[in-house]
Amino acid sequence: MPSQEDKLSTLSPRDRQVLKEILEGESDPRKIAEKLGIKEVSAISSAEGLAERGLIRLDKKVEEVYALTEEGARYAEIGLPERRILETAGVEGVPISEIDPALKVGIGWLKKKGWANVEAGKIMPTGDSPAGKDEEILEALSFQGETSASALDPEVLKVLKSRGLVQPSTYKSWRFEITDAGRSEIETRTLTYGVTSHAVRGIGQITPDMIRTGKWDEESYVQYKGEQFYIRPYDVTLPAERIYPGKVHPYQRLLSRMREIMLEMGFSEIKGEIIQPSFWNFDALFQPQDHPAREMQDTFYLDSKAEIPEYSRVKEMHEHGGDVGSTGWGGIWDPEVARREVLRTHTTSISIKYLADHPNPPVKAFSIDRVYRREAIDPTHTPEFEQLEGVIMDEGLSFANLLGFLKEFYSKMGFEEVRFRPGYFPYTEPSVEPEVYIEGLGWVELGGAGVFRREVTVPFGIDHPVLAWGLGVSRLAMLRLGLKDLRLLYQSDVGWLRDVPSLARM
Amino acid sequence: MPVVRLYYEDLEEMVGAKREEIMARMAMMGADIGKSNEEDYVDVEFFPDRPDLYSSEGVARALQGFLDLKVGIPEYQVHPGDVTMEVDPSVEKVRPIIGCAVVKDLEFSDPAIESLMDLQEDLHWGLGRNRQKVAIGVHDISRVVPPFTYFAADPSFEFVPLDFNESLSMRDILRLHPKGVSYASILKGFDRYPLITDANGDVLSFPPIINGELTRVRDDTRDLFIDVTGTDPVVYKALNIVVTALAERGGRIESVQVKRPQVDLTLPDLSPAMWKVDVEDAKGLIGFDISPEELATCLARMRFGTRVRGRELEVLVPAYRADIMHPWDIFEDAAKGYGYDRLVPVLPKTVTIGEAHPLETKKSDLRDIMVGLGYLETMPFTLTSEKANFERMRRPIQDQEITRVLHPISELHTMVRTSILPSLLEIFSINQHHPLPQRIFALGDVLVRGMTRQDLAAASIHSSADFAEVRSVVDALMRELSLEPEIVASEDGAFLAGRGADLLVSGTKVGSFGEFHPLVLRSFGLDQPAVGLELRWDHLWPSVKS
Repeated sequence: MPSQEDKLSTLSPRDRQVLKEILEGESDPRKIAEKLGIKEVSAISSAEGLAERGLIRLDKKVEEVYALTEEGARYAEIGLPERRILETAGVEGVPISEIDPALKVGIGWLKKKGWANVEAGKIMPTGDSPAGKDEEILEALSFQGETSASALDPEVLKVLKSRGLVQPSTYKSWRFEITDAGRSEIETRTLTYGVTSHAVRGIGQITPDMIRTGKWDEESYVQYKGEQFYIRPYDVTLPAERIYPGKVHPYQRLLSRMREIMLEMGFSEIKGEIIQPSFWNFDALFQPQDHPAREMQDTFYLDSKAEIPEYSRVKEMHEHGGDVGSTGWGGIWDPEVARREVLRTHTTSISIKYLADHPNPPVKAFSIDRVYRREAIDPTHTPEFEQLEGVIMDEGLSFANLLGFLKEFYSKMGFEEVRFRPGYFPYTEPSVEPEVYIEGLGWVELGGAGVFRREVTVPFGIDHPVLAWGLGVSRLAMLRLGLKDLRLLYQSDVGWLRDVPSLARM
Repeated sequence: MPVVRLYYEDLEEMVGAKREEIMARMAMMGADIGKSNEEDYVDVEFFPDRPDLYSSEGVARALQGFLDLKVGIPEYQVHPGDVTMEVDPSVEKVRPIIGCAVVKDLEFSDPAIESLMDLQEDLHWGLGRNRQKVAIGVHDISRVVPPFTYFAADPSFEFVPLDFNESLSMRDILRLHPKGVSYASILKGFDRYPLITDANGDVLSFPPIINGELTRVRDDTRDLFIDVTGTDPVVYKALNIVVTALAERGGRIESVQVKRPQVDLTLPDLSPAMWKVDVEDAKGLIGFDISPEELATCLARMRFGTRVRGRELEVLVPAYRADIMHPWDIFEDAAKGYGYDRLVPVLPKTVTIGEAHPLETKKSDLRDIMVGLGYLETMPFTLTSEKANFERMRRPIQDQEITRVLHPISELHTMVRTSILPSLLEIFSINQHHPLPQRIFALGDVLVRGMTRQDLAAASIHSSADFAEVRSVVDALMRELSLEPEIVASEDGAFLAGRGADLLVSGTKVGSFGEFHPLVLRSFGLDQPAVGLELRWDHLWPSVKS
């Protein structure tokens, strides 16, 4: 059994208004609705809630009522067909063949009611045709409208119903009455409910004039224009109307936080073009020209070619391994293939271009931007998503330094437990796949990292090790925001955006 | 990435260790452990640079080293054989390279046959670029009579291809046989096709398409002939990977004489490659302090042969390894042999001062302003279609401005947006069940004439949305941005005539706003008034450049 407190604190302002009317003796929902300027159904619905809480008693009566059908209404006006035939027939009678076809339905009733006989094809009135009960009912319904079945002869009703002249419906009548429990509860919490027998008038909204000129006491009373008012208190425990603030997208909050971490760690933010020549997206990263990742089915190619920088060292590296003691990929490296433009498939294209422009140590740079993959949309794949990517280039850096950085970065992201597993990326060696421990999920792979191959750095005059790592941020967002469907990040559901707290656990 | 199905029982037997022991360490060798039915098998993904791990035999070989059960370079004997392969100059143009070997005395269990078939398929994908570069044929040698000949035949030549009962011409195989249909493109433009026949003219293989039915490998097959053809010397690596995997199953490798127009070869050539690497380089790259001997141990665990020569290490790379291109590839294996879990992470000492990109700083300021105006941020896709970007907006298609992708994956994503507003209207259209008013905005990239530009778009929908509302928002935004644009009536069809305006800064249009035309609203399935604004902001401040 819930406490009274519970019962009362969940009342809406409308419930309270209805309760007040009932307390003051009003028992008819139609009248309550009129007084409060609300719909009758709303008053009934409020009252039902109050009844459930035991604050009022509610008597509901269901009555069967009858009204005329369209046809019934017409006959009430012009008379039943049998009555009209009788009128045409007079005392001499009338041949059936001469009767208006629309009235022929009345012939059977003439005989049944004993008003006429049929002789040699003629209707012969018997002369005895008093007004029937059916005619009386038609007239009454026509005059009164809906009438309770209890006031009408059931036998006659049955006949009229079978002739389709009347139709039944149900009518619910209500009666509300305050209960003792309700009365005592309200009286002990009068102010709280603003339903009161106060001697002074209550006011909902204070006015500027009242603030300036009123004589206020310590509590909620004011002497204003010679009268005493009290300011009706609210039940502060009740929820109010829901409003929605403008908000930063929860995914953007996560991206912003990662950006802050990178800036805190001394990285410079870099940006680049969405459209990249294959040269920067693939070739500069030592991806062989026949690499499967370069195929049409994985990459969005454009019908255009771009200028590319001087490429002889890149070509040499691909074909023979340049002068870094590598074997290269063999085959012929084709500059035309490198000129083909793509929507960048990773932000690494931006990183390598930046390093090529800044080949002297130290460099620490990062970017968070959208990348494109030719993938069909499903709950875990989208053709575009954000990547966080960073590089550190300096003298004497090692793979162990990369692991050290990753551990620090993930810890700042809130992942205390990180472990490292061998990985593979065509442009890094060694490569690593960091995994973080997430309660309830276990070890989750989160991003990839490695040291840029010499085949990647040397053609651009970068002589020191480059530690690089990248992270598919949307995956992290799914984990952080508890989403099962990646699409929700991009195809926004306004309800979700409104409801998800700005300060969700990040 | 190729997935290898490993049957526990088979694996335990080949490795010589219990499955628990194996599974505890497997990932640290470089593998993604996939699904398992617990009882019988586990599916494991290996990286594309390690085609030698595409078979359970190859995995077992690597695990033996990794678990310290059998370290150092595996020794494989190639016995002199009596099979000859004549290579006719006619293949030079179409598919010049061929490698062959014979492997005898095999006893095929089910896992072994499955492993061989999977290895073949994975190599076709991984090394072979879908058979273009490498294609492998495996034959029951007892059905044919050496010497064999590799030549380019006329497409009218007929034989019975695998899985067929009657003979077909090579031309018809490309049209009618499932494999022919799949791979016909590799032979497009050639007027003669590669073929391998025996002394009687019977067909072993029509590479890279299909084998002959004659040499089908059956349960009772004991001796295999293997042909690998292609366009790149990686053909020989693929041959080595297949024959050494079969040798791990107890096969006896026999050589084949490949007689070529210029130089003859005796294959397979399983002699290891020798690399000399500097121990200090390895220590510097990985960042661990170990002795040359320890380094050698780590490499032996990864099945390399090693010999310490002062500060240098001689490393013998097994003939089946296709990934060693540079000393760093060897160093990475040393780190794996050492154990990634044993490496001590050290924070780099590099000192730099971080700097935000001005574009992102501005973006963040704009976001603050829009949130302050009560707008909810959204982050729609940048991929869109001409229909959404232009037609539904009643805007003419600007062909010279658009970046279309060549092979769109859906009709909804054929180009990168030139405007963000259509995406906001799409968001309204999928959110009609939520209470109004809805006010949303988005900041992000648009692509105009191939250049990435920055737009801000905002829109508001509710029963009394009108021009005055959006004008107020634009005015507030402009005040906050210290901009004093000229506002002129707009011709933009997206807006109602007389209820749309353009924003000009120094005479250049930087944006537009207004009350959407009901035809625009209807085209997005909306039936409430809506207003919107879009501003191209990246060039509005001298300090900000893309």
